[in-house]
Amino acid sequence: MSGPTLYVVLVAFGVVVGVASGLLGVGGGTLVVPFLTLAVALSQHAAEATSLLVILPTAIAGSLALRRRGVGNLGLALRFGVVGAAGTVLGALLALALPASTLRLVFAVFVGLVGLRLGLDGLRRRER
Amino acid sequence: MPPETSRRSRLRSLALDPKLLAIGLGGGLLSGLLGVGGGIVMVPLLVLWAAYPQRDAHAISLGAIIPISIAGIAAYGVAGDVRYWQALALAAGSIVGARIGAGWLARIDERVLQVVFGAFLVGVALLLGVRG
Repeated sequence: MSGPTLYVVLVAFGVVVGVASGLLGVGGGTLVVPFLTLAVALSQHAAEATSLLVILPTAIAGSLALRRRGVGNLGLALRFGVVGAAGTVLGALLALALPASTLRLVFAVFVGLVGLRLGLDGLRRRER
Repeated sequence: MPPETSRRSRLRSLALDPKLLAIGLGGGLLSGLLGVGGGIVMVPLLVLWAAYPQRDAHAISLGAIIPISIAGIAAYGVAGDVRYWQALALAAGSIVGARIGAGWLARIDERVLQVVFGAFLVGVALLLGVRG
């Protein structure tokens, strides 16, 4: 892909990422990074750096829309996020010293189990 | 205290209780360590451990991603190999999409939300497993 086609596809994929982000409260890096490496053929490093610049405005736009609707608490979320940012820096430092691929596999299994649990809970839950 | 009142007062308070502190630190640590998004870690912990309602957990996670991604940009983004035009095109779409998604989050049935998020996590797990 190149030229105008690439940019049309990028904007369209951006809309999908934004909807997932606003609805699910995730940054969207999980979708953007594989897309940039597989479909746009960026290196992993370039894809990760670029995705951060997409995640920030997306999270701001979604959070402002949620605040207007009175969902959650943005002040609390921002404080919570500052603690999270400290953890992220520590984690990035630790990643340099640990075998990340093994950890990632363990984590994948864990995320899958949590997803199944949440999904099944949701299916079983009665209307309240 | 009826549940609705306790939920309100809990959300109105800006103080971080110990569980929120632990989830922030632990969730951030895992996402920095594994290179995965914070929301995938934070939302399940907020719901399953800190007992936040599903909808609020997603909203809090999204807000928390703002400072987390700022820290990420400060750490790697500036030094990294950023493709500005491609980021701009993606962001142009995702800002529109985020407003649509947030509108859905405000209205969606919490059970449906939980099922959709569960399916998303299973998908992420498969993706991570393939990537190894």
